[in-house]
Amino acid sequence: MLGRVALGIIFLYAAYAKLHFDGAWHLRDYYFLFAMAIDSYRLLPLWMVEWMARILPWMELALGVWLILGAGLRWAGAATSALLLVFIGAMWRAKMLGLEINCGCFGNNEKLGTLTLLRDSSLLLLALAVTAGAFLVRRPRRVTV
Amino acid sequence: MTRLQRNAVLTVALVMWLAAALPSLIGAQVAQTKAPLAQAKTPSMDLTSMKSFGSRQAPITIEIFSDYQCPQCRQFFMTTTQQLMDNYVAAGKVFLVHRDFPLPMHSYSHEAARWANAAAEAGQFEAAERALYNKQDDWGSTGKIEATLAAALAPGDMKKIHTIETTETPQIDAAIQRDIDLGNSRQVTGTPSIFVIHHGQITPLPAGGVNYVLLKQYLDMLGQQR
Repeated sequence: MLGRVALGIIFLYAAYAKLHFDGAWHLRDYYFLFAMAIDSYRLLPLWMVEWMARILPWMELALGVWLILGAGLRWAGAATSALLLVFIGAMWRAKMLGLEINCGCFGNNEKLGTLTLLRDSSLLLLALAVTAGAFLVRRPRRVTV
Repeated sequence: MTRLQRNAVLTVALVMWLAAALPSLIGAQVAQTKAPLAQAKTPSMDLTSMKSFGSRQAPITIEIFSDYQCPQCRQFFMTTTQQLMDNYVAAGKVFLVHRDFPLPMHSYSHEAARWANAAAEAGQFEAAERALYNKQDDWGSTGKIEATLAAALAPGDMKKIHTIETTETPQIDAAIQRDIDLGNSRQVTGTPSIFVIHHGQITPLPAGGVNYVLLKQYLDMLGQQR
């Protein structure tokens, strides 16, 4: 339970940092700067960059709430793991290409570095552990006579 | 191991992980909110105005910290800056300020900044900047910056620039250092680093240069906020 709540809080914080910056909420214009951060990865076409920038913070918010509530944990865990896997794949690729860019993980001004990679990789491990735990807990036990 | 012991081990591991990860999470947000507050006032200096384009009365100011030897700066200059000049600076919507931030890893970038500043004082900054970026590969490998500028500028202008570069080196170095200090105060670590100033609010754009289409959308949005 601790794992999924911690992960949920972290996802809520990630969404908050993208929607609230420079001391104010940016519910109408949050995606401009975030789109620039996503585009700096040089991974997606522009139309997809803009689309991702608009929906990702809300997706993180929804995942955070879902994890904290704990309903359908197997699916929540799997979705979180998949999302983190995509993030970390993009981050490792950027690092290997030598791109000096921002992570875009928690706000718009965090540089992508080894520490951010290790931190997000540990988040992925936690998400995988939560997912595996959910599947193990829900597995029906064999009744022996 | 009993279930209680296993839970205890897991809890301790989780607490240790949170203790390690939270400072960096919080740090990211602190850096984000500190940046706009770090320098609300820019130092007034003549060389800066000679490296600026457009009207000071423009509603938006964009400051670009760059290094002439940095490939991403060249990319940004060739694509985004040129369109920005044509569509926003020329239209009086943006005041564009060049800031020098030569990175120590580039052997000739400080010298290139010195020549660019000398060119600025001679009123030839735009042509010098374009020549330095166009021929970045050439002088970046040989260090022949003066020859690169001489090939692009008129001999009379070049003579003037040469005189300024040799006689005013301390003043030029001081001006470059002021830009570096300003960049450091805004936590600039790489180039190009771009800051958008609107209604007194300084917003750092994500590192690594910005696509013109996305910058255009952002500037248009700011323009509608009058």
